[in-house]
Amino acid sequence: MREVAVYALAIAGGALATLSCAGVVLMRDGLDRLHYTGPAALGGACLAAAVLVEGGWSLIGLRAILLGALLLVTAPVVTQATAHAIHRRREDA
Amino acid sequence: MNGWLWAATGLVVLMVPLLGVAVARRPLEGVIALQVAGTLAAVALLLLAEGTNRQAFADLALALGVLGQVGTLVFLRFLEGAR
Repeated sequence: MREVAVYALAIAGGALATLSCAGVVLMRDGLDRLHYTGPAALGGACLAAAVLVEGGWSLIGLRAILLGALLLVTAPVVTQATAHAIHRRREDA
Repeated sequence: MNGWLWAATGLVVLMVPLLGVAVARRPLEGVIALQVAGTLAAVALLLLAEGTNRQAFADLALALGVLGQVGTLVFLRFLEGAR
């Protein structure tokens, strides 16, 4: 059962990371690209959860919790700051 | 090579086109690509730690996760000031 959870989380994380990368590369506009930063953080959190499920409450598992939480908390802040910068750049143009 | 190392390798491969965007596109769009690449690099280090069972890589992942986000904010501040 644990292996199934690890595989599911790892595959979901990899798929979200791939989606994010493809979106950032393929979109034409800065704000369109910005939409695809969210899946990267979510995919990173999924992969960190996979590490936690595999390793349990080890030192690496603790780091996985911290990294996953950090990504989920800080990614929206950075995304908002980037959108604000793009908006101000367009206003000045 | 176990599955964790393959997954870390996959994330590193995903970073290559992002670095292309960072180089070729406008600076603010490059910052977006760097933000995603930083996230992928931090997670790749965590997977490397699990794959090799070395805790030091997990510490590096955590440090990169924090510094990557802070670095992005500093880049944005610089680019806003450079108008």
